[in-house]
Amino acid sequence: MKILRMAWRNLWRNGRRTLVTVAAMTLALWSMVLYTSLMEGMLGSMETTLLDVELGEIQVHADGYRERPSIWERIEDPDALLRALDETGLRSTARLLGGALVASGDVSTGALLKGLRPERDALVSEVHQRLDRGEWLDPADAKGVVLGYRLARTLAVEVGDELVALSQATDGSMANDLFRVRGVLQSLSEETDRATVFLLEDEFRNFFALEDGAHRVIVRSSEGQDLTAAAGLVEQAAAMSAPGVEVRSWRDLLPGLANVFDSAQAAVQVVAFVVYVVIAILILNAMLTAVFERIREFGVLKAIGVSPRRVLALILVEGALQSALAIGIGLVASLPALWFVTTRGIDVGGLGGTAIMGVAMDQIWTGAVSPLTIAGPVFILLFVAGVAVLFPAIKAARINPIEAIHHQ
Amino acid sequence: MGAEPIISLRDVTKVYRQGSVDVHALRGLTMDVEAGEFTAICGPSGSGKTTMLNLIGALDAMTSGSIVLEGRELASLNKKELSELRRDRIGFVFQAYNLMPVLTAYENAEMVLWVQGVDGSSRRERVMGLLEKVGLKGMENRRPSELSGGQQQRVAIARAIASNPVVVLADEPTANVDSETAETLLELMEELNREQGVTFVFSTHDPQVMERARRVVRLVDGRVASDERR
Repeated sequence: MKILRMAWRNLWRNGRRTLVTVAAMTLALWSMVLYTSLMEGMLGSMETTLLDVELGEIQVHADGYRERPSIWERIEDPDALLRALDETGLRSTARLLGGALVASGDVSTGALLKGLRPERDALVSEVHQRLDRGEWLDPADAKGVVLGYRLARTLAVEVGDELVALSQATDGSMANDLFRVRGVLQSLSEETDRATVFLLEDEFRNFFALEDGAHRVIVRSSEGQDLTAAAGLVEQAAAMSAPGVEVRSWRDLLPGLANVFDSAQAAVQVVAFVVYVVIAILILNAMLTAVFERIREFGVLKAIGVSPRRVLALILVEGALQSALAIGIGLVASLPALWFVTTRGIDVGGLGGTAIMGVAMDQIWTGAVSPLTIAGPVFILLFVAGVAVLFPAIKAARINPIEAIHHQ
Repeated sequence: MGAEPIISLRDVTKVYRQGSVDVHALRGLTMDVEAGEFTAICGPSGSGKTTMLNLIGALDAMTSGSIVLEGRELASLNKKELSELRRDRIGFVFQAYNLMPVLTAYENAEMVLWVQGVDGSSRRERVMGLLEKVGLKGMENRRPSELSGGQQQRVAIARAIASNPVVVLADEPTANVDSETAETLLELMEELNREQGVTFVFSTHDPQVMERARRVVRLVDGRVASDERR
């Protein structure tokens, strides 16, 4: 108790220095909490875009399709596979994929047509919720299509405009049809933005003269379900209902991005550590100065029999009190900032569809809050402050009482 | 006196290295201090007074010789034991008072008892009595900056005797106060010596101290030049 009292009073012997140190620690903590929240928000949003909108957790293709995508390489009986997957409790949908030339007016470009059944697809993908303008596919509007954000810009089309698609059908004939732009998606990913046209499955089949089969089955695992276990279930279902297919998790499909997600938290902690090292130098300087100013006092304490351990504890408690103050003030100050970034967010629309490794960020960059948002920056601050204060504390504990008492 | 000495120095030498020069602070010093003595160590600057107190107080290590305090050879004790010896058996009064500026008079005086682990109520009883004894009743909650030099030295004396040490070592305790204050401090220490049997060993230049001391040991060049008992 006496050490705590002494430490607290010692802090305010040079109140300005203590305030500057605490303010720097507070600012560092505040900014790191905010940074962590924004990073978690960004990663969460990217993961949502990637899994909920684009990939799903697991995909099934016909053997060889991924190496050489072709309209002819299909899962022969996708409905059997979907039924088998329904029985496992996993949500799934089938998509048809085919390349085409799309044109509007004098502008044409290559595109990937994706045929789907809106009702079933909505169970698996949130793409229908990510419209920038217009409406999603509707069976009542057979010729309505939805375009990627940049594709619409390239073709200079708006909702209601006509779109011509040309390709080769599976029967060898020339496939061509006139569609109407029903909606334009938000920026989602490089592939979707630049070259994707969503249309109804039946229209896709008509266009490509494709009677059966599907090119991709997208599967969603349950909340918290182990990815490997879910992939195992899909493989079992596929073995019985759709032989000759390959099952891949999104981690197999995009290993680079999986690594980004895995290492992102570590990267956040590294940035926090670097910021805190600067603070550590400030703490070290402040505590060394404080120890140097009080050398004679430490000498007297040692002379009257105060153990080095207690002297060490005194300095450590002084550091701990400053850290506690910074953590208290920093967390209170973080609350309104966290509220702002989680509810309002930062508008990054002006950056023009920022994407990281091909996955677009939302126009409004919102933060997320998890236990790690707070605990990470706090623990790193405590660790760094502890290390910074240890050297002055050891120095004080090892002071030679005679030299210290006669120190001028 | 004939009593068993509580401090016994035998052929004690202390050599400091200053740059490339060896400085012989003590050169084979031999003397005893008996319980209840009120001893002044005097001599010119550099004669070894403070060095001698530092060695007796286990703050420094001698180069050769022997110092025995209450039957314990200091050279045989490790750092922890020396620290405990200082805490339990020796009181220190410094020339510059050396109180903790962030602690009150009461807290400064109770410091050694706290380090010893004495319980709060015993500490309070002991320290309040001591502060009253040294004339600081009512000033318990004042910090050193709110006390005069003489009052601060009284707190230092209270701190030094709080743990009932075998000896109080006072390094020029009156050097920083005026003669009137020095007189009252000496009266206080004399009274503590007389009434409570506290053994005092001073290093001093102050004629007032030498006048009141019942034993005056004069050091010259690190040796005992004279030893006068009154």
